[in-house]
Amino acid sequence: MKTETSLINFESGISLESGYKLNSFDLMVETYGKLNEDKSNAVLVCHAFSGNHHAAGQDGDKVGWWDQIIGPGKSIDTDKYFVVCSNNLGGCSGSSGPSSINPDTQELYGKDFPAVSIVDWVVSQNMLTDHLGIKKWHMIVGGSIGGMQALQWAMMYPEKLNKAGIFAAATKSSSQNIAMNEVARESIRRDKNFYNGDYLKHEVKPKDGLKTARMLGHITYLSEKHMNEKFGRRFQDNDSKVDGNVDYQVENYLQYKGEKFSDSFDANSYILMTKAMDGYDASSIKKGNLEDALSLIQAELLIIGFETDWLYPPQRSKEIQIAAMNVNVKSSCVSLFGQQGHDSFLFASERYKNILKTFMESK
Amino acid sequence: MSIPLSNIINDWIPDGSKVIDFGCGDGSLLKNLIDSKNIHGYGVEINHEKIQECITKGISVIEQDIDEGIQEFESSKFDIAIMASSIQCLKNPHIALRGMLKLSKQCIVTLPNLGYWKCRLDLASGKMPVTPDLPSSWYETDNLHLCTINDFEKLCLDEGFIINQKVFCNPNSNQSALTSLMPNTFASEGVYLLERK
Repeated sequence: MKTETSLINFESGISLESGYKLNSFDLMVETYGKLNEDKSNAVLVCHAFSGNHHAAGQDGDKVGWWDQIIGPGKSIDTDKYFVVCSNNLGGCSGSSGPSSINPDTQELYGKDFPAVSIVDWVVSQNMLTDHLGIKKWHMIVGGSIGGMQALQWAMMYPEKLNKAGIFAAATKSSSQNIAMNEVARESIRRDKNFYNGDYLKHEVKPKDGLKTARMLGHITYLSEKHMNEKFGRRFQDNDSKVDGNVDYQVENYLQYKGEKFSDSFDANSYILMTKAMDGYDASSIKKGNLEDALSLIQAELLIIGFETDWLYPPQRSKEIQIAAMNVNVKSSCVSLFGQQGHDSFLFASERYKNILKTFMESK
Repeated sequence: MSIPLSNIINDWIPDGSKVIDFGCGDGSLLKNLIDSKNIHGYGVEINHEKIQECITKGISVIEQDIDEGIQEFESSKFDIAIMASSIQCLKNPHIALRGMLKLSKQCIVTLPNLGYWKCRLDLASGKMPVTPDLPSSWYETDNLHLCTINDFEKLCLDEGFIINQKVFCNPNSNQSALTSLMPNTFASEGVYLLERK
């Protein structure tokens, strides 16, 4: 599959929800497939918290995070559709964020990168839409906070999409979601190398804090059942332990995943992204009235929850469905089996693939 | 659903109304109503293949076990709730009916009549009825709570549901003098429009 990656600069800048203005910003964008002549086959894929623009295909040794779904002949068929995914503003995979250079000062943004929100991401993606010359997306889709972006799109720019896929998402984060994120942020802040967010200037990284944050995150992305099946109470082999403190396989797994993540992710981005997640409330667009907010939607919705997801459980999906139904939005809601907990939205079961494909192609 | 039966239901549904179809199957009934009556239609279904067919047709569908989750829809308001040939498959038909009439002013229920003479003949000859309206063998059927026309009307009376309209059909979904005169014996199917008091 042909993958095109490009860094797109927006010289006009963007006024953020916080009131802060970025005078110029970049988005790292990856595309798959070909835009047809009337530009009617475009699909925007929104990534989740720690994802990025690399949604499909192979980039070096890195397979895209939704490669099971996007590709030739797959649910989001790149032989038919032109698929676009951009790294969210504030991220650390090429788009403007805390680890990039502030064009105004020619210094690293670091902790001075402004707070971003899901609304800001949608606004920046809308600028990308104009840049690409796309008038209307055939579908905008994502899981977790990617699903929140799809939902926000459908409310903010109702005439600019036919369909929205909102998977493993919710209209807002719960108190428990915020609590988990706060523990993760606290572990980053407590790292001696954090320097109040100025670690890059000190040429260090708060890797230990970031690692602990990710380990906690990972627990919330998996399910109890899946963990029991995958690791049980089995001991880790001595020769493959990441360190001497490890007894069980589950410990080794979390240590390994946390370590790997802390090598590649930026701690300030972690804080910004989790804050964006916590701050989201779909009803904000209509002063806290969710049904009024959803009544703005013209697109058809596919809402999917996953049975073992306890971060945004299927009940949260149903809440979106009921509110959408109450204001006559065309919408379907299914609960899929997926043993990987919240992460289930990444894994393509037969039923998941079929439903998504059918939804994309239905009239 | 047969054409005459779906015509009866069509006649009871005002243009542009908001309809929820419990046990909507492949979404055909809703599709017809959307095309002919411009309704806002939502289906509730539990069967995976049927849900897939609804999505293929572009029909809004919600995956939900009616027995477990009619209260999920408590905050919703509909003009009409439909339960076509599904009520006998529920664990608690009376609770489902109460729930439907809470969220909807009117409710259309169709049900197979176990009092139909062919069923009585089957039973009299010592076997479980198998008829066009009850096509499955006893070990394959989804039906848990079969009843006669009289049983159903007694339930409506006991529960305080008002029967606004009713139509009785033979297996060809036609009405005849016999089905009207002695529905409990000659109708294979009853179609009701219920209201709450």
